[in-house]
Amino acid sequence: MSTAEYLALAPLLTISGGLTIMLLVIAFFRSHRVAHVSALVTLAATVLSILTCTPDSPQVVLDLLVVDGFAGYFMLLFAAMGIITCTLAYRYLEGRSGGLEEFYILVVTATIGAMTMAMAQHYATLLLGLEILSISLYTMIAYPQETHAPLEAATKYLILSGVASTTMLFGIALIFMASGDLYFSSLMADASGPYHTLGQLMLLTGLAFKLSLVPFHMWTPDVYQGAPAPVTGYIATVSKGALFALLLRFALVSDVLSVSAVFVALSTIAIASMIIGNVLALMQQNLKRLLAYSSIAHMGYMMIALLAISALTDTATAVESAMVYLLGYFLMTATAFGVISIQSNAKENGDAELISHYSGLFWRNPLLASVLTVTMLSLAGMPLTVGFIAKFYLFAAGVESNLWALLWALVIGSAISVYYYIKVIFTMTLNEQPDSYAHPETTWSTRSTLYALGLAVLVLGFYPTPVIELIGQLLSGFSD
Amino acid sequence: MDLLWLIPAFPLLGFVILFATQGRLGELPASLIGAGSMGLSALAAAFVGYEFVSSGETVFTQTLWSWMQVGGFNPSFTLYLDGLSLVMMGVITGVGFLIHVYATGYMKGEDGFSRFFSYMNLFVFAMLMLVLGDNLLVLYLGWEGVGLCSYLLIGFYHHDPANGYAARKAFVVTRVGDTAMALGMFLLFKELGTMDIQAALSGAQATWPEGSPVVTAIALLLLGGAVGKSAQLPLQTWLPDAMAGPTPVSALIHAATMVTAGVYLIARTHDLFLLSSTAQLMVASIGLATLFISAFTALTQTDLKRILAYSTMSQIGYMFFALGVGAWSAAIFHLMTHAFFKALLFLAAGSVILALHHEQDIFKMGGLWRRLRIPFVSMLIGSAALAALPLTSGYYSKDLILLKSWSFNPLFWAGASVAALLTALYSVRMISIVFFGEMRTEPHEHKAWNLSLPLIVLSVLALAGGWFGLAPLAAVLPDGGIDHDPYAAWLVWGTASIPIIGVVLGFFIFYPPAKSHERNLSAGVKSLQGFLFSGWGFDTLYRTLIERPFNAIAHWNRNDIVDSLFTLIVTIATWTSNLIARSQTGQLRWYAANMVIGTVIVLMIAVVVS
Repeated sequence: MSTAEYLALAPLLTISGGLTIMLLVIAFFRSHRVAHVSALVTLAATVLSILTCTPDSPQVVLDLLVVDGFAGYFMLLFAAMGIITCTLAYRYLEGRSGGLEEFYILVVTATIGAMTMAMAQHYATLLLGLEILSISLYTMIAYPQETHAPLEAATKYLILSGVASTTMLFGIALIFMASGDLYFSSLMADASGPYHTLGQLMLLTGLAFKLSLVPFHMWTPDVYQGAPAPVTGYIATVSKGALFALLLRFALVSDVLSVSAVFVALSTIAIASMIIGNVLALMQQNLKRLLAYSSIAHMGYMMIALLAISALTDTATAVESAMVYLLGYFLMTATAFGVISIQSNAKENGDAELISHYSGLFWRNPLLASVLTVTMLSLAGMPLTVGFIAKFYLFAAGVESNLWALLWALVIGSAISVYYYIKVIFTMTLNEQPDSYAHPETTWSTRSTLYALGLAVLVLGFYPTPVIELIGQLLSGFSD
Repeated sequence: MDLLWLIPAFPLLGFVILFATQGRLGELPASLIGAGSMGLSALAAAFVGYEFVSSGETVFTQTLWSWMQVGGFNPSFTLYLDGLSLVMMGVITGVGFLIHVYATGYMKGEDGFSRFFSYMNLFVFAMLMLVLGDNLLVLYLGWEGVGLCSYLLIGFYHHDPANGYAARKAFVVTRVGDTAMALGMFLLFKELGTMDIQAALSGAQATWPEGSPVVTAIALLLLGGAVGKSAQLPLQTWLPDAMAGPTPVSALIHAATMVTAGVYLIARTHDLFLLSSTAQLMVASIGLATLFISAFTALTQTDLKRILAYSTMSQIGYMFFALGVGAWSAAIFHLMTHAFFKALLFLAAGSVILALHHEQDIFKMGGLWRRLRIPFVSMLIGSAALAALPLTSGYYSKDLILLKSWSFNPLFWAGASVAALLTALYSVRMISIVFFGEMRTEPHEHKAWNLSLPLIVLSVLALAGGWFGLAPLAAVLPDGGIDHDPYAAWLVWGTASIPIIGVVLGFFIFYPPAKSHERNLSAGVKSLQGFLFSGWGFDTLYRTLIERPFNAIAHWNRNDIVDSLFTLIVTIATWTSNLIARSQTGQLRWYAANMVIGTVIVLMIAVVVS
């Protein structure tokens, strides 16, 4: 490996090194606070190394990974989300029983997996990253031991993930059979042969499960509900973001969307996700399940950016819109689950997950309620929030590539979604006050993180230019 | 000039602080923030204005940020300064500052002191956005913003339901105009594909021939918005009721600034009106009709603030009239001088009302000139300027309008001249009844520098504000600024003498004021007076023609036929949701089976497609 390759790999090396140190520290010195802080330091160092070491032009490392601005952007999001998750989890875990220190190790390993996926250009790295991420997640989901719900959720996720991974592996095997190598780009040669098509579809099926797209979405609400709130936030953002980053690169490199069977299948899946996700959320009384269904719909929206790649001569618009959308989605989802985490601090076991728990929040904690309100409005895509900017970008990409059926689904889905997002806001203004959730204990770091996130949702709705310029800059060195 | 953004930023900051503290500040800090932010804004405006004029440029734009860049769509937030917006900005910040200072004295001890100033600051911010915005979207945002503040401030004394009614009336009536204006903007955008005002105006000139029906439609729709906001016929009924708000509000919003937004809108989009002589004639006719009707009504009113309200309508009528007859610069000139003398009149009236413990009936006043010296002198100067007596500011602007209207159509000149006579008459009547004759209520003058200083400054402006003309307008408006075309000597002298005749006539009719108190009128004259008093019965007319039928229809359709369609959508959505939700059984085997089914479906799609 050359120096340039080592340098490009610096983020991954930093986080892995940090992980090793964390393991040693925890082995000799068990302290929740020390584990928490060392995880934060590791992730912060990773963020720094991403910011400083991301090369200007794509740098291939050992044939398996490629480091470029595109990967750097997503890695930055994942590491940042890792920091947010650790911050939210500290107070959340402290009120609960069991060994707490290993949780932070799992967050770091999951982030390693996600970062690997953002850099993958080979099926082996894809699988490696995906499994590192997934196995960490199973444990993170099952972490709280007071009730059996987390365990049930983890088991469901484990088994269904197994089904999905198997399907995906079988697809990869078929692709290998047809093309003879395992690079994403190998499809280029004969993309529309029957084995190829079959392999691609089975691979995409597996990925669609992880992205919880209809009809592979059924696990989502159960897992979201069962997992502890900070972990749910992590699954909703990093796990899906990593999958989406991978899918995006796969689509760009392999030209898989030029196969009409794949295109039609993915369009159908996207439309179904947008409509069914939103319809399912409509009557939901549980905020975590509601957000699960809403994430199904949001993944459907994001498929528009992916599918726009096929129809556009200038793929930059599509990639840019996907990156903007993912950032918005990260901010909104992290904020929503952050609020749930804080509210759950007041509970002995389980989470503050029913919408009715939030009734009267405006009068108990106006600032927190405002943050959740902004987030809900943003998820609904109201103007002057980041959700609107993100959706507008998707729409522009869709219009430019004439994806009218998908755009109609986006419009109808968004219209339905306004109802259930507003319902949450409306509940917060009601007058009833269940005593047990009145005053959750929080740390200043949790609060300030949450307020910063809420502010970002708002400010990027007014003034998204810096982010857009950053993305443009990162993509300038990105070849497709 | 780079400080331009600061001018709206100060009042916005003031609003944010006052709003965030939710009335927890005392009166002194609230006054300092409320009026101080306006002072800084006025200073910045003076500085920017000086730089702009001395730089000799005609246009200055400042892009604050662009919202987003998606493909070719790049909406940006830009401030646009030219001669027209400079004049408006000067009036808003200058007069606005004086009124804010006055309000710190006037509102002393009222409930919601800091709420009052937060609304006032928000209003100034919105008004500045209206005149500084470079595209129709920002203009519309400011337009609705000032409407909202007007609503909030008219209903400021919200414990009296009548004030709430007045606020709603103002909001709903102007909404009629706003709807027309929004339609006009949509039409403009549909036809020209741009929201940028300058681009739209040059596009309009390039696209449409003179008198094309599209441009006439757009101009008339925009006129609808202007008519609503500026309380012109037929949407004028809200302004007299708007006097329910505190007097500084009447001075700032319902005399000096917001109600002149319609005049600004037409002047800003003058290229559209130049393309349509129909629309322009309409502007002139509406102006003439309004100034006539409201001048007559002002003659019969008994409430001091309502007299001033009708007088405002009538003076804005002059501005519309001027725009319609092509005296563009004179209209804006009159807008400025009117802001000076009408703000002065309102503030002086406020001092009188305050001294009489919120008594507004002029027939309960009288003989106040000895006791309320500063308000008396201010009101005298203000009325002189209102009546356009020579050498006052109002004379220069109104005289110019009258002279220009002669070359448009002598009949219009005659109508406007008669109304000028009426203006002098009701001014004399007001002064005579309020300040002379027998004292009917004992006044208690509030002596405070913040009450008298604004009156003194505005008095100077009302006197001298017209002596210097408005050079920067020349580059913006099509008539090339304020020039004095050669007119026949008899016309010049005749026009100038009309107010003097009016004042002399008024003196004979209304002095001594006792004549107005004890009058035996015949039944016919009485009913005529009642008709004039009610503002020519427009309220009754609208009640019979619009309110009653509307209420009847609403009652008949109380189960709402249209709504049932939406109920149907809700029912379908709920039903579908419940149906699909059944698939979420929570059972692992069903989920796994479903994944297999899903995979099969995906493969089936592939088979069908290929």
